[in-house]
Amino acid sequence: MEIQTLSKAKRLLLLYCSFFRITALVVGGGLAMLPVIEEIFVVKHKLMTREELLDMTALTQTVPGIIAINSAVYIGMKIAGVPGALAAAFGAVTPPFTVILIIASLFPHLDPKNRYLLGVFAGIRAAVTGMILVTGCRMFRRTVKSKLECAVVLVFFVLAIMKVSPALLILVAVPFGWCYVWWQTRRLARAEQANRESSKDSAESMQNGEDAK
Amino acid sequence: MNHCIVLFFQFCKFSVLCFGGGYMLIPLLTAEYVDQERVLTMSEFGNLCSVAQVTPGPVGLNTATYVGYVNAGFFGALAASLGLIAPTILIGCSATAGINRWKDTFLVKGMLKGTRLAAVALIMFAVTIFLGMSVFTKTIPWESFGALFRLQRPVLPEGFRVSPAGVLICGATIVLMLKTKLPTTALLLGAAAAGAILSAWF
Repeated sequence: MEIQTLSKAKRLLLLYCSFFRITALVVGGGLAMLPVIEEIFVVKHKLMTREELLDMTALTQTVPGIIAINSAVYIGMKIAGVPGALAAAFGAVTPPFTVILIIASLFPHLDPKNRYLLGVFAGIRAAVTGMILVTGCRMFRRTVKSKLECAVVLVFFVLAIMKVSPALLILVAVPFGWCYVWWQTRRLARAEQANRESSKDSAESMQNGEDAK
Repeated sequence: MNHCIVLFFQFCKFSVLCFGGGYMLIPLLTAEYVDQERVLTMSEFGNLCSVAQVTPGPVGLNTATYVGYVNAGFFGALAASLGLIAPTILIGCSATAGINRWKDTFLVKGMLKGTRLAAVALIMFAVTIFLGMSVFTKTIPWESFGALFRLQRPVLPEGFRVSPAGVLICGATIVLMLKTKLPTTALLLGAAAAGAILSAWF
């Protein structure tokens, strides 16, 4: 394994530069970075296995935070501990930070009445609307498994429209999730017990039938 | 300076609440900066998201840098970006070893179930925010739809109508996303070009 041959300083540098490159080149962020991460860390430098990367992908989507930074932190942690996590995170932050600063400082100089410029923004906004809608529908299909869950999503949606703070909604969702999972497991256990009892009953009745013969 | 500290902690909060990726930031940010503090208007926020989408880098980070800059200049941008990554680094460094073991416990499972359902609802809410900036010419007036419950015709605000170019580009994006494997960058660039050409019809 190459991991032993790379000194600590070199590993940190590799992490910083790799994540710098990834966020500088990959538009869209989040899961779009995955193939590039695989190429650099699994194929080229052999610092982690494909299974580890897959585990990490699941993990980065479960913990809070934006997916790109989650990935950077977990890979950095895996390869070079806490300094690695810091190096990777700062590598990921540097390019968008610089690019957006330049654009933001140019923004006031753009002509706000230029029809074509406004058209460009309106076009991108329309495309983003479609993209969020598709992403949302995919998430809905992956997450919502029953009519009850569908109703819960609807209630949250209506509350959001009624200007209930989204932060509050997420905080309420956590205890709700606990109650829901508790209720679900209890129902499952009951169904299983009922199942077992009924199969015991039928086994007994079969036994009785054989005795009668 | 004070402002930067506030920004830092606000973005720490967003980061901790951000289950399910960068799009979740949209409802959080609009609630904080458009509805409450009014440092941004809805259309400024829309432009900001457009810029964040077409520039390279994760959408969440781009948006954070931009909001920070608009609020408090260079140091504001720095504070917002650092705020967004600080909780992640803390959680990541302490939880990497343990979380796989905790994954199937009742507490983690319940939290994920609940937050995911809320995340789906909030992303759908983000869609309605964006519909008001693209397919419709103004923010969707939910208050006026209350009239429907009283069996009256809703009174729509002046200038609220469907934008033909918006419908066209939004629809085309959805179809292309579902039917082809075009990268999102190509879709966004196409939408930008189409927007410039159709600029008279928005």
